Amino acid sequence: MTAIACQAISKSYGHYEVLHDISLTIQEGECFSLFGPNGAGKTTLLKILATLQRPSEGRYEILGLDGLKEKETIRANMMFLAHGAYLYDDLNAKENLAFALALRGQTPTDRDMKLALDRVGIGAFAEMKIRNYSAGMKKRLALAKAMLAKPKVLLLDEPFTALDTAGTEIMREYIRERLSENGAVLMSTHDHDKARPITSRAGMLNQGMLKEISLEALKSDELF
Amino acid sequence: MNFFNVIRWIVWKDLVTELRSRETISSMVFFALIVILIFSFSFSMDQQAAREVIAGIIWVAFAFTGIIGLGKSFSAELQNDCIEALQMVPESKGAIYLGKVAANFLFIFVVEILLFPMFVIFFNLDVVEEISLLLLIFFLATLGLSAVGTLFSALTVQIRAREVMLPILLLPMVVPVMIAAVEATKGALNGDPLPMYSQWLELLAIFDVIFTVVSFWMFEFVMDN
Amino acid sequence: MIIHRVIRKVQRFQGWFGGGAALCIIAGLYIGLIGSPPDYYQGEVVRIMYVHVPLAHTSLFAYIVLSIGSMWYLWKRDPIVDNMCHAVAAIGAIFTTLALATGMIWGKPTWNTWWTWDARLTSYTIMLMILIGYLMLRTFIDDSEKEARYAAVLAILGLVDLPIIHFSVEWWRTLHQPQSISMRGVSISSGILIPLMCMSIGMSLLFSYMLMVRTQLLYLDRLLHAKKGRLMSQFHMSKTDP
Repeated sequence: MTAIACQAISKSYGHYEVLHDISLTIQEGECFSLFGPNGAGKTTLLKILATLQRPSEGRYEILGLDGLKEKETIRANMMFLAHGAYLYDDLNAKENLAFALALRGQTPTDRDMKLALDRVGIGAFAEMKIRNYSAGMKKRLALAKAMLAKPKVLLLDEPFTALDTAGTEIMREYIRERLSENGAVLMSTHDHDKARPITSRAGMLNQGMLKEISLEALKSDELF
Repeated sequence: MNFFNVIRWIVWKDLVTELRSRETISSMVFFALIVILIFSFSFSMDQQAAREVIAGIIWVAFAFTGIIGLGKSFSAELQNDCIEALQMVPESKGAIYLGKVAANFLFIFVVEILLFPMFVIFFNLDVVEEISLLLLIFFLATLGLSAVGTLFSALTVQIRAREVMLPILLLPMVVPVMIAAVEATKGALNGDPLPMYSQWLELLAIFDVIFTVVSFWMFEFVMDN
Repeated sequence: MIIHRVIRKVQRFQGWFGGGAALCIIAGLYIGLIGSPPDYYQGEVVRIMYVHVPLAHTSLFAYIVLSIGSMWYLWKRDPIVDNMCHAVAAIGAIFTTLALATGMIWGKPTWNTWWTWDARLTSYTIMLMILIGYLMLRTFIDDSEKEARYAAVLAILGLVDLPIIHFSVEWWRTLHQPQSISMRGVSISSGILIPLMCMSIGMSLLFSYMLMVRTQLLYLDRLLHAKKGRLMSQFHMSKTDP
């Protein structure tokens, strides 16, 4: 089944057209990696698909639901790990998890949260305020949130930045788990070495235009 | 139901973060104290003059203090882009609005309760008999202020020049609240009989109802595209 | 979309609106300033009414158009409706400013003061502040879709607020100062009514004419920017593509 389908999406800010005529289809069980230089429009495309912004033109469907009309159902089945980690500095890790999941209508048990925190390797800091977390720890906590939420569609914006080698492996392990459970993943990244092992399809976004590239091309370094 | 859960969690989150950081309430109280101090320099007050202008001073101080609290309400959501997480809540955004209104109302009301004794001391007010009526006026006016203010806080935090735009947009809208609150407070402090100023209390109540409903509806368009 | 068809149809008659406005205003000014007798109570001063009253009515009308347009926009999300709202807000702000200015000039000889916290003057001033806040808000947002949405929210809130503001200011005035001078002194005779009607129709036509021209201007501006952005990105693509 098709997880993400967008047709002719364009987005402009004032004078600038950030995205131009983007069409993209991602099936369930697929991981699509979006490459491209800074300012290519990767984050904008992810934000539109995450129902955070409205495209200037074009339409899209997620899990067969219209992205402009059935936003609430999409949101309940989708998770966006963005550049900002969506965490409150004055709450500790467990409270942040409980709050974020409660807004999604989920109530994880204390044990589930502990397990998720252990799995991302920050179980020892569960009672610490986020204010004292490093960027990598925040990223791991955001990942723990996604583990508890179990979304059908996962959108990731630069998932490997700020993560160390062990963290990268945990992230990739989680993505593989989602794919094996028939989830769909769309991620933007510029780190093709880290992304290659889990990528099923790849695309190059440049100056707001999307071009699909083969996995062989991904291995050669010419593109980058 | 998840709608009420969201309201509860938002209030819980705002209260817990405030209890831990004490940023909002302490900055509001301190700012208001400075306002009171400056006002007492600007007027050479005898008992009679104080009676005339004190209601106005109280509400100017409360309104400016309220704006500080309202501005912080959503600018706190900018840390780690939390506001985007609120936008992606799979629930009517009205739940977030109601939660935020409740938290903002609570903060402003608490600050007002803390500040009012200062006015009583500094300006020699005689309030013992009217205290419950005054509390009712504070309650109604603060509710109106937070109902409109929460909406504008969410709106201005997502644009450029947000610190300037909140008061510019909010103050003209709450003119009725200001007029009614000042007139009612003046009546209560003068010890006038209630029927002489009950119309202002009614106006405040009407404003509260209308603007909670309209802002609740409009909040959807502010938080969601 | 229906609004595009309406605009295209109206566009053809645009010149008639402009011509009609010029004709009515010239005729109204001639009758009002030269053709009609001075008022029994206010003398020659009353003639400013022929400009002030139509301006005040039109600016109120502008606000109503703005809020209806805003509701329509939130409902249908048609960008041209937003262009119309943007246009009407700017024109409304000018008309309101002029209405306030002529009101002050009228107030000087009749009330012997430039400014009085009269209920109508006060609520018009607050309306002007809301309109200016509206126009300022629009300049602080980059995303045009978000700009349109937030502006519409503000306009609708203002519409709900305006009657409440008016009543509260009126109550407040009657409490503090009995209304000393009112319009009741001016008897509405036909000598006054004819130029007043002429000017009112003329101002409404002028307003409609300005609204049409400005809406088209903003609409074309938007299309131009979209086109420009597209050409720019195509140009860059052709440069980066081997």
